[in-house]
Amino acid sequence: MITGTFDMNDLNIASTQSTPGIQTDFRNGVLRMHGDSYPENSFEFFGPVIEWIESFLAASSDPLRLELRLIYMNTSSVKAMMDIFDMLEEAHGKGRAVSVAWHYDPRNERVLDLADEFREDCTFPFDISPDVA
Amino acid sequence: MALTKSSACLEEAELQALIMRLVDAPEHADNPMREPLLRLVKHCEGQRERLERLVRISDGYHSISRDQRLSLAEQYDKQLRRLEKLARISDRYQNSLRELSEALKDSASHDPLTGLDNRRALTERLREESERATRKHQAYALSILDVDRFKLINDRFGHDIGDKALCAISDAIRGSLREYDACGRWGGEEFLILLPETASEYASQVIERVRAAIAQIRIDVQESALPPITASFGLTLYRPGESFSDTISRADTLLRVAKAQGRNRVIVD
Repeated sequence: MITGTFDMNDLNIASTQSTPGIQTDFRNGVLRMHGDSYPENSFEFFGPVIEWIESFLAASSDPLRLELRLIYMNTSSVKAMMDIFDMLEEAHGKGRAVSVAWHYDPRNERVLDLADEFREDCTFPFDISPDVA
Repeated sequence: MALTKSSACLEEAELQALIMRLVDAPEHADNPMREPLLRLVKHCEGQRERLERLVRISDGYHSISRDQRLSLAEQYDKQLRRLEKLARISDRYQNSLRELSEALKDSASHDPLTGLDNRRALTERLREESERATRKHQAYALSILDVDRFKLINDRFGHDIGDKALCAISDAIRGSLREYDACGRWGGEEFLILLPETASEYASQVIERVRAAIAQIRIDVQESALPPITASFGLTLYRPGESFSDTISRADTLLRVAKAQGRNRVIVD
């Protein structure tokens, strides 16, 4: 992930039918994920995402913001997301500014309930809001 | 425990002081027991230090294992809560997927406007009924109906009224059939009716009932009145062994005859 000492490669993964699209913006401290998540190998798929977050948190002291538009997820993806939120929670505990903005399609209210389940136990700002049509 | 220990220590210290006083007394300077007594006192001191060190080390180990046990219990509880949360979220995803797949299954076989079977479901039913009819040498009756001058309704009153008419027609068809009869939307304003194991004469009566029910539909439209809704029907019997598409084309041809003869009628072969 890290090419120079403080230089970092951003992720730009196009979404597929079974994996979400992922874009990172190191300069602005933003990670975006959108779509369905059914990777065959979740560990392999989410590895780079977790590495990017780890590197960002280590290499900078800027705020980190996750913008999520995730719809359906398999169990191992749910676990990966919980791991990611745990990392944010830990960083938040050390005084780092981290936040999650989870957007959902108002036609699919179930995503709201699910995002709400994820939010439980998180003490950092975790906003869930419908996308404006 | 601490009390006993300290009183024992006190006793030992007093005893040691007494012995030292006696040993140091000038009158005992040549006593042969003086030397062994001094060695015994020194030995006792060493033993006491050993014992204290042993207790300290043992207490240390005890406290380490206690801390480990507490942190393991804490980790275990945390992992358990995590696992429960994972299962809960995962179950919810699974449930919404199941409901989605049921909705998809339903929309794959039903016409969204009228709720009747769609062409795909009808084709499946036709295949089943044709196999059964061939096996049992018992024909089913098949009728195709087309709403008369439906394009005029759409053009003059708009698609909303057109849709309303189609729903009313669906209700009229459904309401005139028996439970085991099949019906569905075959195309735009075309409906298909399948009467299993039904002889020609009785089939004519049923289809005539459907025709009459449709002719009685009244739809309120603001300002102008909607012309009466009617439909034309072609009715035929499945001939065991033939392909059901042959049955359909026969019914279709009869339907064209009904149209040509002035609409709002049933033509049977």
